Amino acid sequence: MISIRAKNQIDVWIAKYPKDRQSSAVMQALKIVQAENENILSASTIQEVADYLDMPGIAVQEVATFYENYNYKKVGKYVIRFCHNISCMLNGADDLIKHLENKLGVKTGEVTLDGLISVKKVECLGACVGAPMFQINEKYFENLTIDKIDKIVDNLK
Amino acid sequence: MTDIEIDINGNIVTAKAGEMLIVVTDRENISVPRFCYHKKLSVVSSCRICLVDVEGAIKPQPACSTPVVQGMKVQTQNVKTKNSQKSVMEFLLINHPLDCPICDQGGECELQDLAVEYGSDVSSFSEGKRIVTDSDIGVLIQTDMTRCIHCTRCVRFGVEIAGIMEMGGTGRGENLKIEPFLEQGIQSELSGNMIDICPVGALTSKPFKYELRSWQMNSISSIARHDLVGSNLFVQSYKGKVKRVVSADNDLVNEIWISDRDRFSYESLTHENRLLKPQIKVQGRWNQVSWEVALDYAIKGLNSHILKHQKADQLGGLVSNTATMEEFYLFKKILTEIGCDNIDYRLNVKNLDNTILLDSNIKLDALEKIDYALIIGTNIRLEQPMINHRLRKATKKGADIDVLNVMVFDFNYSLHTENIIAPNKIAFILAGVLKSIMINDGQELPDYLIAIDVDEIAKNIAYKMLNSDSSVIILGEHIINNVDASTIANLVAKIAKSANSRTLNLSITGNTIAANLVGCVPQNSGMNVNTMLASDMRGFILLDIYPQYNFHHLGAAIKAFEKDDTFVISLNSFKDDIVVGYSDVILPIASIYETSGTHLNINNDMQSYTAAVKAPNEVKPAWKVLKVMADLLELPGFNYEDSTQVLAEISYQSHVIHNHDIKDNLTSYHNGISVIWQNSPYSIDAVLRHSETLQETKIGQMNNAYMNQTSAKTLKVSVGDKYLGVLVIITDTVADDCVFINANQTTNIYGQV
Repeated sequence: MISIRAKNQIDVWIAKYPKDRQSSAVMQALKIVQAENENILSASTIQEVADYLDMPGIAVQEVATFYENYNYKKVGKYVIRFCHNISCMLNGADDLIKHLENKLGVKTGEVTLDGLISVKKVECLGACVGAPMFQINEKYFENLTIDKIDKIVDNLK
Repeated sequence: MTDIEIDINGNIVTAKAGEMLIVVTDRENISVPRFCYHKKLSVVSSCRICLVDVEGAIKPQPACSTPVVQGMKVQTQNVKTKNSQKSVMEFLLINHPLDCPICDQGGECELQDLAVEYGSDVSSFSEGKRIVTDSDIGVLIQTDMTRCIHCTRCVRFGVEIAGIMEMGGTGRGENLKIEPFLEQGIQSELSGNMIDICPVGALTSKPFKYELRSWQMNSISSIARHDLVGSNLFVQSYKGKVKRVVSADNDLVNEIWISDRDRFSYESLTHENRLLKPQIKVQGRWNQVSWEVALDYAIKGLNSHILKHQKADQLGGLVSNTATMEEFYLFKKILTEIGCDNIDYRLNVKNLDNTILLDSNIKLDALEKIDYALIIGTNIRLEQPMINHRLRKATKKGADIDVLNVMVFDFNYSLHTENIIAPNKIAFILAGVLKSIMINDGQELPDYLIAIDVDEIAKNIAYKMLNSDSSVIILGEHIINNVDASTIANLVAKIAKSANSRTLNLSITGNTIAANLVGCVPQNSGMNVNTMLASDMRGFILLDIYPQYNFHHLGAAIKAFEKDDTFVISLNSFKDDIVVGYSDVILPIASIYETSGTHLNINNDMQSYTAAVKAPNEVKPAWKVLKVMADLLELPGFNYEDSTQVLAEISYQSHVIHNHDIKDNLTSYHNGISVIWQNSPYSIDAVLRHSETLQETKIGQMNNAYMNQTSAKTLKVSVGDKYLGVLVIITDTVADDCVFINANQTTNIYGQV
């Protein structure tokens, strides 16, 4: 069930678009609903969003599976979305991701044992100018090096 | 659009400015490969195989999304074009399994054909190919998504044609997958078309899985028989058995689509319940006999029971509306020749003094161009899927559709208003519409309209009718046995006349229009079906009749046929216990695709077809059986060698002009609860009822009696009970005073509706 609070939040987004274009709010709606459900989207929550926005379930599923900011399994308090697209890759992202995995003792897609951090490989986040980069929850960290990553991750508590 | 000239491969061709290049090349028969482009779907230009060299453009351009302009010079065969198409092909084949030898699409695969032409023997890609797990999308369509090349034709088909988005592209990049949501499967009544439009072997026919290669089969063009459209199709057979049905192009009839029931009903032809041999009942025991013996027995029976006593007026001829036009004609001819005037096909009508006489005067392709439609009494999407598809196209161009139905049905387009009206009030709403229109036009009101209230619904409909340029009123099957059926039809005709609108009579089914045209109705002072059932008859000839499904008064019908001294000759395609129970002779007749004949569609298009396969075993086409019976009865004028000679003899009766006088004075509603019994869309005839895969679909399983709380209280039934043998569902989507039944079964045999 989508809570009343979430519905109110979604309605704010629906109001930003022309009448009968409520489906434009789908990305925000998914984000709001995901935040209410332990940061996880399930088939039933996707269906609820679809019903609320009067969209076919599969159309919402398409959006929800396209973007990396939606999760289907348990994630940590901090989600590190590491870009491995072309600019970051050319600037050594692959090695940095390996370093991060070793440091945290998890593979990409997994959560640390204490449930604090999870790592995801994602496509371009639009910050090529600062490649290599990652995003922790909402915040961007650019021009990463091994040292910089160690410092950032050690500060996550 | 203005005419322009463009240069394709050095030849000047004329085109309309703004047309897409691929439309021009298709028209000029210049081959340009394509996967994602489909003439009936929107253009996405995602597959890139149609790249061609356009002079002035540095990169090759996709023909499907490049509009033509005056003086454009295009090369579809040069090295640049070929190289780019080759490269695209190499990309498309990166993840394609190339498992053609075990793929059902092999031999009729667009990818395979083009791979032969453009594909390279060696790929630069030597990494592992991806594998996609399949989802089960139902009993009709087999998926093998590893073969999918993501053209998205099936996705666009769902959104644009079927009107329900069922397939979608989930994931991204290398993880992109075409799949339905939550494996809930495909529910559309047009889903089988996805098989036809899939350019690879990702979506193939499940009932046809691993059966045969396309080149092994005989393909005969034929006509679909389960609705009023008569969709064009190809029947493909192997060694005398129908193996598959695919659609054929005819823009005036079915465009390129066919409904699932037309596509998969062929399965019934090999059903174990097919009648294969003539049988006769001698002293209460059934014997399988030769045709000679059976026909001799039938003729002797007719003679001894009826003809010897000059009692042809106590013989009844009843025919189901599924017969061919030739069969209707011969059936009528044979009966009238022996002096029997009791002929009828209107088996499902409760009261033959209260029938619907309404013309259809709009062409199927014109339905797309209407700007307003009023739909009365039909679940049109499932009952007439191809006609509904035309209306859907009209709504996409902005047409408004109002509905007067007895319950909420699923539409695949949005409606202007959906009015749920009790069956006994529909006539009054329509009278209100007529009154409103007449007042608006300043016409003098006839007596029957003076006391009519014009409510909001009627006012709104009248307003829409008056303010539209091309409108149509569609009258559906649920009205057949309405207490005001004939009044409703007459009101519709009058409204259409006053508002300069068209009418479409969908209250009939099967090949009824042909039955009507040849006049398979009581001759002179002969009895109609309901009178026959109530009279003391000495014999019946029944063509393709299964009374528990065909008749409104089924109890009376079975009783009339069962009477001890009544001699019954049944011509059937399928075994049926009830038919066995009352018949004296059962003659096995050919089913669809096994006989030649003619189907008349709602536009009076006379579409003839030949037999695609020979009927199995000793089964004979009904027209031949009727001809031989006539010969044995020594009747003159039955020297036919094939069914086309029968057709040539059918003289077209001059078109009857219906007199739409309204006799009822419409003073008060008829009281009581109306029961609308509809055989569910996949159970409307014997062929569909024996199509096992269709029966497994959600539509095939429809079997419920819907009513609202108040009606349930009146009828003293509750959820989980059965009403007339059908499970009750109580829902406020049904109008007052109404039970709507969609059944895939027979009613409890002697239960009276």
